[in-house]
Amino acid sequence: MYKNTIKLTASAVALCAASSAFADSLTVYTALEEEEVAIYLDAAKAAMPDLEIDVLRLSTGKLGARLLAEAGNPQADVIWGWAVTAMMDPQVLELMAPVKIAGTEALAPQFRDTEDRWFAQIGYMGAFCVNTARLEDKGLTMPTSWADLEAPEFKGEVLMPDPNESGTGYLHVNAVLQGMGVEKGWAQLEAVDPNMAQYTSSGSKPCKSARTGEYTVGISLAFTAMQSIEEGYPLAMVFPSEGVGYELEASGILSSSDQQEEAKKFLDWTMSPDAIELFSQYKALVTVAGAKPSETAVKAGLPSDISTVLAPVDFVESAGRQNEIKAEWREKFGR
Amino acid sequence: MSVAETRATAPKQRWWMDSDKLLAAACILIPLIGLTLFFLYPMVIVFLRSLTTPDGTYGLGNYAEVLSSKGFWRATQHSMTMGVATTVVSVFLGFIIAHGLHRCAFRGKWLIRGVIVLPLLAPSLVQALGLIFLLGRNGLISRAIGIELDIYGFWGLLIANTLYALPQAVMIIGASLVLLDARTYEAAEVMGAKPMRQFRDLTLPAIFFALLNSAFVVFIITITDFGNAAVIGGDYSVLATEIYTQVIGLRNFNMGAVVGIMLLLPTVVSYYIERQSMKRQQGRHATNVQKFIPSFYLNRDIPMAAACFVVVAMILSVIGVVIYASFVKLWPYNHDLTFKHFNITLAGGYASLWITIAISLGAAAGGTVLIFIMALGLRKLSGGIAQAVQVLAAMPAAVPGIVLGLAYILTFNSTATPLYLLYGTATLIAVINFYHYHTQAFLTVMTGFRQFPSALEEAAGTLGAGYGRTAVTVVAPFVAPMLIAVFFFLFMRSMVTLSAVVFLTTAKLDVAAVTIMRLDDAGLTSQAAAFSTCVMAVVCVALGVMKLGLKLLSRSPKLNKAG
Repeated sequence: MYKNTIKLTASAVALCAASSAFADSLTVYTALEEEEVAIYLDAAKAAMPDLEIDVLRLSTGKLGARLLAEAGNPQADVIWGWAVTAMMDPQVLELMAPVKIAGTEALAPQFRDTEDRWFAQIGYMGAFCVNTARLEDKGLTMPTSWADLEAPEFKGEVLMPDPNESGTGYLHVNAVLQGMGVEKGWAQLEAVDPNMAQYTSSGSKPCKSARTGEYTVGISLAFTAMQSIEEGYPLAMVFPSEGVGYELEASGILSSSDQQEEAKKFLDWTMSPDAIELFSQYKALVTVAGAKPSETAVKAGLPSDISTVLAPVDFVESAGRQNEIKAEWREKFGR
Repeated sequence: MSVAETRATAPKQRWWMDSDKLLAAACILIPLIGLTLFFLYPMVIVFLRSLTTPDGTYGLGNYAEVLSSKGFWRATQHSMTMGVATTVVSVFLGFIIAHGLHRCAFRGKWLIRGVIVLPLLAPSLVQALGLIFLLGRNGLISRAIGIELDIYGFWGLLIANTLYALPQAVMIIGASLVLLDARTYEAAEVMGAKPMRQFRDLTLPAIFFALLNSAFVVFIITITDFGNAAVIGGDYSVLATEIYTQVIGLRNFNMGAVVGIMLLLPTVVSYYIERQSMKRQQGRHATNVQKFIPSFYLNRDIPMAAACFVVVAMILSVIGVVIYASFVKLWPYNHDLTFKHFNITLAGGYASLWITIAISLGAAAGGTVLIFIMALGLRKLSGGIAQAVQVLAAMPAAVPGIVLGLAYILTFNSTATPLYLLYGTATLIAVINFYHYHTQAFLTVMTGFRQFPSALEEAAGTLGAGYGRTAVTVVAPFVAPMLIAVFFFLFMRSMVTLSAVVFLTTAKLDVAAVTIMRLDDAGLTSQAAAFSTCVMAVVCVALGVMKLGLKLLSRSPKLNKAG
């Protein structure tokens, strides 16, 4: 048993030594989709062969918990593509360094921090995932708005993520409130509440449940909808006519990083014309002026000018009021 | 083991007493240091966080806020109801299966043994998907009977929790049944006691401790589980969901810590109740146990076999449907068979599988040794200290994985102590896996130890065998079935457990459970199912190889002599 302890210690020391030997590599935390990370990373490595990049991919919520738990001694150098409403949490902003990334000055002011601690050249959108097979079975009509979901025929057929547990849930609630005005917005959510089968903890779950025919409508993410349609599920992606919620994916450098230069080099690349070109092939939303949407997106029903379907969202307000809104939601709809 | 050898060759009588004491002290101290560093210390840090108010000072403000929230009390009520319901069902079924395995005579026990552990080696996603594919609104059964079942909520959660808790209940109850002495039953037989009477007067009292222990474990793991609640609980909010909301949804650690600390309360209380009821129950020990070989009783064995195989069929269908779905093109719309989901390139691909095996073997081997010497040490210890150590050792299951994982970050990602060297290593993942499942392992071995005849130990002592030697040549062979069960348990759970580990993987170090989560997060549910199928296959092969190795070992003369 002593031997065992010694072995454990020895392997621990060996592993530590191994990890410190690689100290030159850049540690990037991201919440971008798995497929995107793989594609973008290949391009980044081709463009910067001497830069070693290690990526940790976690969902928006888990990434936040990880980042804050490590706040005493941050392990990441860069945050890449993380929900801006999460990034604007004061606990997080405190960790970020003000760095000017080449090209960000061209972004509209709502897409970057006034103190240059983050910028967002990309984003993702919400969507309704409607199972067309189940819709037909149940004899329902295709919903095209939040108001359509009030119909009593949809009772127990709609799922949405809980805004207290999921960023996607907040994205939708926030879009309804900002798009329709606070009072009308709450009234709309109250009108749909009796039809909600569940409030889920994951943002993509409503779409995944809808695509396998467990429920008819999943209020979820455009990314999951498009991917499910591509895989062949009988699914339609619908943007509610009141305007759909969207979220920016922000990037920045941690002030604790001892690789400021490499970190800046990487983020500079993410703003390069090549990278933007690549993003616009996969992202529903690119905030750099003149970027075109991808072919898959168009095929799945994304309009070429997406600004026509987006709800008017003020991200400073979204982030600033989130605790208040989440608490009020809980009071009204908590189950 | 090396300790024992040193001990055996140690010079001269004078040292015997002292070195025995020393060894006993070491047996208790080393596992205790481990528990302190890797459980108590992180939990103290969580406790401090729970006391940290938003303005940075210490106080009870967070507790007041939690206690005054409506949601918390609703979740507490749900958790308690669910805990009790799952405990009743799981202990009842667990007893039937354990009793069927060890005290009844019928064929096909190998199937029961094999299938009953499947929920332990199946990633949590498999169980969730399996239940939905079978019992969901668009599931196989709903479609077959033409009525949409609604399992999301209490019933779905009860089934899911029971599936997960059942093998653990069987493991602990089995630990007490396997060691019951055959001769007691022979005597009863001679005296004309009917099987029912034998069961009531001999079996039940003997396994009382095990039933209580398993009830305790099932209750605790049910109230701390998040995975099942999230997938199949629907809107049935439980305490673990509250923690998730605070920590992941609202990025408010301190409030999450409060709920985490509160979850320790029912654990301490139920453990105390268990101990109190144990005091009235005296252990009975034969000096030499003869293996019980049950003979066939129609009225007992046919119903028992039927009950066992019904449970087995349920478990098999839940897991089988996911394995099948991983070969299906597009569940549930296109049932053409394909291998395409096994072509996994995203989320690190298959690379994480191998490191996970190494981590799991480490956790299982190190854990089994530590638990064994701790139980050994506890035999020599009595009074308040022993009580305290036992409570501490039984407590880790009360900590939800998410809390333990975050506690490890807060504790080990601090350069203040040399323990920082462990952060980001595979070793720390093995360590957290062991301590996460410490309770179950500890209680299984303790249940086995209770059946151990102390007269045997005394006899060995009188014959001049030292403490270490007795431990290795007398005690270890006796409790070997429990040690093996614990080793396999730790191995299987380490292969697939997610909740704590997800916070400790790094950009360079991924484990299998995290790969499955990432695939599922990416919307690639079929690939996640395919990867899970591979994990289950690998674990089965590994278990098979280990069992074979054990068989060969037990045939070797050296161990035979020891046994």
